[in-house]
Amino acid sequence: MRLLVTLLCSILLCFSAAAAASSSGWQQAKHLQAELVSEYQTVQAGQSVLLALHFIPDEHWHTYWINPGDSGLPTSIDWHLPQGVTAGSIQWPTPQFFSIPPMMNYGFAGPTVLLTELKIPTDFAQKELEIAAKVDWLVCEEICIPAEASFQFSIPVSENAERSAYAAELISKAQASQPQPLALSGYYDIAGDSFSAAIAGLPDEDFQGFFVAATELVDHAAPQQLLFSEGEWLLRQKLNTYFTQAPEQFELVLVSANGQGYSLSLKAAEHLAVAGQLETSNSGQALWLVLLMAAAGGFILNLMPCVFPVLSLKALSIAGNSGQRKQQQSDALWYSLGVVLSFVALAGVLLALRAAGAAVGWGFQLQSPLLVAALAYLLFALGLSLSGLVQFGLGLMNAGGGLTQQKGAKGSFFTGVLAVVVASPCTAPFMGGALGYAVTQPPALALLVFVALGLGMALPFLLLAYIPALARLLPKPGAWMDTLKQLLAYPLYLSAIWLAWVFGRQTGIDALALLLCGAVALAAACWLWGRWQLSQQGKAEPVFAVGFVVLALWLVWFATPTGLVATSAQATAAHWQSWSAEKQAQLQAAGKPVLVNMTADWCITCLVNERVALNTDSSKAALALYDVTYLKGDWTRRDAAITAYLHQYQRDGVPLYVLYWPGQPAEVLPQILTPDTLRQTLERLSKQ
Amino acid sequence: MKKMKLLAVAAAALFAGSLAAAPQVGQPAPAFTVKDSAGQVHSLQDFAGKNVVLEWTNHDCPFVVKHYQGNMQQLQQEMTSADVVWLSVISSAPGKQGHVDQAKSDELTSSRSAAPTAVIFDEDGVMGKAYDARTTPHMYVIDKNGVLQYMGGIDSIPSAKVEDIAKATPYFANAGKAVLAGQTPDPAVTRPYGCSIKY
Repeated sequence: MRLLVTLLCSILLCFSAAAAASSSGWQQAKHLQAELVSEYQTVQAGQSVLLALHFIPDEHWHTYWINPGDSGLPTSIDWHLPQGVTAGSIQWPTPQFFSIPPMMNYGFAGPTVLLTELKIPTDFAQKELEIAAKVDWLVCEEICIPAEASFQFSIPVSENAERSAYAAELISKAQASQPQPLALSGYYDIAGDSFSAAIAGLPDEDFQGFFVAATELVDHAAPQQLLFSEGEWLLRQKLNTYFTQAPEQFELVLVSANGQGYSLSLKAAEHLAVAGQLETSNSGQALWLVLLMAAAGGFILNLMPCVFPVLSLKALSIAGNSGQRKQQQSDALWYSLGVVLSFVALAGVLLALRAAGAAVGWGFQLQSPLLVAALAYLLFALGLSLSGLVQFGLGLMNAGGGLTQQKGAKGSFFTGVLAVVVASPCTAPFMGGALGYAVTQPPALALLVFVALGLGMALPFLLLAYIPALARLLPKPGAWMDTLKQLLAYPLYLSAIWLAWVFGRQTGIDALALLLCGAVALAAACWLWGRWQLSQQGKAEPVFAVGFVVLALWLVWFATPTGLVATSAQATAAHWQSWSAEKQAQLQAAGKPVLVNMTADWCITCLVNERVALNTDSSKAALALYDVTYLKGDWTRRDAAITAYLHQYQRDGVPLYVLYWPGQPAEVLPQILTPDTLRQTLERLSKQ
Repeated sequence: MKKMKLLAVAAAALFAGSLAAAPQVGQPAPAFTVKDSAGQVHSLQDFAGKNVVLEWTNHDCPFVVKHYQGNMQQLQQEMTSADVVWLSVISSAPGKQGHVDQAKSDELTSSRSAAPTAVIFDEDGVMGKAYDARTTPHMYVIDKNGVLQYMGGIDSIPSAKVEDIAKATPYFANAGKAVLAGQTPDPAVTRPYGCSIKY
């Protein structure tokens, strides 16, 4: 019996000793009891250890989050630690809403654990880690009671760290109650009287609420708007009356329907705007790279089977006539001039087309499904040509052939022109990239790119004229060239598939099927045309070939603009046009109502407004009902015309929404649009 | 959680109507007509030509207690002796914590040696909500022209500890001095801190 008592006593002693090493013991305060617990009961130098501040408030009483909301105070811990030991900041659990109309608080009811990580330096030499913490908290029900308490205990330091069984469950629960940190950031901005944020890449959850860690930013009690649209979560809440300054970034906690919290950082979108400007000024730096790549692309054109024979003939003639060095060099220069001017002419045609397109209000919209489909067809047909099903550009080749036979400067010049013209069928993949870049750039830059392409193409010839020894390095023309040509068909097929996929995303599976049927029709057309090229007789084949091409085009035309286009992405792309002062003036002169929306990619408020209020079915219906033309100006790169327009309305930023109703002064809409703003304003204006 | 949020939304929707326009510094201060502890009626326009201080208070709130260790009384004496009208406003609804009757109010004023021009009973919370007053204490300064010049906290350290008063930047006191000197306070808007007002 005595033995048993002794044993029990020693067990109890052991237990309390262990607890003492890992806990401060409970402190009783008004309406709350607290203890400080260590993750380890024995620690070693160089390790990290979690300390858990454990609160158990009375029922209905709560403590506060880092942003307490309209009143209250966050809990704070003042650590007193041995030299070299450092404490991190408090790792807060996911908070709860405490609504006390008209106010709102954020905090924690029930048992709550605040974790802090301590780091022990590797050269820590003391026998015990002495931990002292002064903790301040405010515990509230209806009334609030501030309190402070000091916690103190020591943890033995040894060779081997030992976890505390007492703390294990507490700490794992605490970790589970924390928001899951996400390595992503969203952007926010402030306009009018609202805070708006956009976050992409969130887990697939139904988010129901959010907490901003910045104080006096949002009106905590105002309704929170959360909307999932086009892959992004959009948040909006009224701005706090006591808001003064927008923080550069702060933590945001999002809570899903099942109560799981996620934390991420929100950054001020102004920085995006600055980044956008930097990008613009950096485009000068990227220019040399673009030109270098264009020149490299031009150089590679020489290896194309359509060009190489021309080049090698010239090159061989140079190698053979070493006596006439002067003459060869002059020939090379004329050839180069022919190549470069041909490219410049090509660029000129392209730019003229673009200008003509823009003048009639048809921009180069690469997002247009019709254009995507046409490009897919083009690449597919070019692929078939490379595979040998049909030959494109034979006529051109014959026409130029005569000119190149001439001697001297004229002959060399036209050989250069011919090289470019002849090259076109098999150089599309390379040219495509340059073309794509050029259409989006200012004319001077586009011309430069094409000059670089031409210089790159003429380069081997120039080199040969000035360093004849290089001719020995040239590969001999032969069957390998045809093999290369046929191999090059496959990247083209893949490009066509990629475009078809884009088209499918934009339109839907039915439209994609029609596009593929069109591709088959195109293949049939190419096959028939190729047969006719070989035989050069009969009329049926060309007629059928043209018929199949028409069929292919009709299929995509049928697939795109009709009811088969089901997704909203396509529908939204159609209900606005890009803004220009001229277009607006024309519409107004014609007595039509106009809605102008000035926006920018980095403007989160603009984005939320568009998704919440402008791209909705009801707003689209209202625009259609009142025959309003919706013009959108993109200020992402601080377009000067738009800046001037903004100044007209005493604004130096976006968003700006202006409604022009014939015969009435321009109506500036609020910066924060609600789903009904547009419809109601139109209703009112139309009745005046 | 969801219930909480719904509650919040419903509450906000309810109060959105009464919070027609938030007070703004540099704009005319929201008008009010209220009774003081002696039953006398005061309106903002009665004080035209005088600088006015509004102090939201709740005698049991630890943050108010912190400043009634001497700081608040000193501010009241300084300001009222400079011909400033100082109104201590109690917006606690009847039955809510901090609600007082005339006798209790008078007793509090004398026992704490408080020196406001008047103690206002805003039992229906109309005045408090017009000013978007949230905490006790919560301070406002209105100039002689009736323009709101300052709103926010009493100082820069949100705590319930008396010793923090000396370390803090006295936002409200600075704003009061600026307005008395005919200047615009900087900062003019700060974060109010304290207990929630028991509307």
